[in-house]
Amino acid sequence: MTDLLALHDVRKSFERLRAVNEVSLGVAAGQIVGLIGPNGSGKSTLFNVIAGGARADAGRIVFDGHDITAQPADEICRLGLARSYQDPALFFRMTVLDNMLLPAKGQRGEQPARAPWHGLWRRQEQALAAQANAQLNQVELRGHYARLASDLSGGQMKLLELGRSLMGQPKMLLLDEPTAGVAPKLARLIFEQIAGLRAAQGLTFLIIEHRLEVLFDFVDDIYVMSAGAVIAHGPPAAIAANAHVREIYFGD
Amino acid sequence: MNIDYVATALALLTVFGISALMALSLNLEYGVAGVPNFGQAMFVSIGAYTAGVTYTRLLPWLGGRAGLDPCGDTLTKALALRTELTTLFPTVGFLNFGLTVLIALLLGGLAGYLASYAALRVWEEWYLGLILLVGSEVVRILAQGYPPLLCGSNGLSGIGQPFVWVHNATWSAALFALLALLLAGAAYLLCERLVRSPYGRLLKAIRENDRVTLGLGKPVQRRRAQVMAIGSAIAALSGVLFAVNLGFVSTNDYTVALTLDVWVMVVLGGVGNGRGALLGALIVTVLNRLTAIAAIALNAMGSQFEFNYVRYILFAAILLLMLRYRRQGLLPERARTTIAHDELRP
Repeated sequence: MTDLLALHDVRKSFERLRAVNEVSLGVAAGQIVGLIGPNGSGKSTLFNVIAGGARADAGRIVFDGHDITAQPADEICRLGLARSYQDPALFFRMTVLDNMLLPAKGQRGEQPARAPWHGLWRRQEQALAAQANAQLNQVELRGHYARLASDLSGGQMKLLELGRSLMGQPKMLLLDEPTAGVAPKLARLIFEQIAGLRAAQGLTFLIIEHRLEVLFDFVDDIYVMSAGAVIAHGPPAAIAANAHVREIYFGD
Repeated sequence: MNIDYVATALALLTVFGISALMALSLNLEYGVAGVPNFGQAMFVSIGAYTAGVTYTRLLPWLGGRAGLDPCGDTLTKALALRTELTTLFPTVGFLNFGLTVLIALLLGGLAGYLASYAALRVWEEWYLGLILLVGSEVVRILAQGYPPLLCGSNGLSGIGQPFVWVHNATWSAALFALLALLLAGAAYLLCERLVRSPYGRLLKAIRENDRVTLGLGKPVQRRRAQVMAIGSAIAALSGVLFAVNLGFVSTNDYTVALTLDVWVMVVLGGVGNGRGALLGALIVTVLNRLTAIAAIALNAMGSQFEFNYVRYILFAAILLLMLRYRRQGLLPERARTTIAHDELRP
């Protein structure tokens, strides 16, 4: 079976620092895969390279049969690969609902020639509002639609970012520390959401996470990065028992 | 000192309508989409220069007369011909004015579209602001240095407003004031409807974080180019009205000072709020007029004090006080965009 996302020897340097060093990995459709490693090991840079925020110096990235190595970020998103950021990258001066509606694809009212004639897109907007509302309920943000995104708590922001990614109907999500700054109970809830999305919609996930105790309960597969390179790969149980990983990760 | 109150009021309303168009244009570009357009005067001047060209080339042709060089030996004859055609042949004048507006909208829109592509080279939008600020002056100096356009630094007079043929001066001014207000009203409605649409939502997202918006699959550059085209077309429209209201086109009217006036309107009224732009335009127009009247009155009393400069101090003070104490402006922006919010109200 071919992978939904496949990286072949991807490299990315900043001046002399080799942030990502010949990384190869594969994520099959419907999998939840964890990406772990100490701070500064290149995980977020790798996400940025995959999602088109920065271009790889070398190597090849294939998503859903398309070579996306040199594609711009908006094109990659349109192919169905969505991402979240370590610090929630919401539109803080906009309402929760506007945040949700923004990524929806094929909005007629987004074209300036149609935008002033509200009748041309009202139906679609209403349908999207209902869809966004259902999604908000699912990520436990019921009733918060009219608040400014900046007024939400840290955990709610993470949930909103997850909900917003889903509004673009992606095939796969890259989540950068979905539980950072979130209360332990909420962290588990976020992962239950993720597992639920995989079960219900067959979504695929690649997740950077530091809370290994939560992560290990939900993933099929784990990649470990250190100093820009993948140093271990396997199912959670094997990774937890890997002496090399324990050494660099837990210091024992 | 005698003040003709009706004439003053009509002049005020006309200038308000024209200023409102400029403020709405900048509010759409900067207030909503976050493009700091410091080249506003250039986009306004495109409309004014268009009027200069059409009134000297197109108008005689429409009136079935031979065109005359508006600058050289035939200067007075050409001026007499313009005046004759606009005052004696309303249809010719109207047709010329209508075509001027149309051409100005197209040229202004095109210029705005192209200007937005300078942003491709600079991710930091304030650099675009600087490029436009400098570009605006460069275009002005080029226009001045190319005599066939506006007779160089002399400028062109006899650029009559479309109602100069009405014999009663009050009625003529009233009709033109009404036209300016109607066009400003139409621009206001268009901008409001754009802001309250998914397009407006996308522009506000670009304003707040263009990279994340791009990452959500949105064609940021194209949308930004489009809003610059719309905003600049409105600015060019205001330029046509500005020129025919003065009856005169000169490159000296489209300096950075005009751009700053428009910025005061938007920052004072409320960044991102169309009604705020209208309020800002009203306040700046009234203050401009009051200080001008005060200057004339002081002068008549024999004072040596140049009161016109008080205006600059006043505007600078307003700008600083607003930025210090009320950044959102007098009328703050409304956060929610489309009817979607009403849909979910329980």
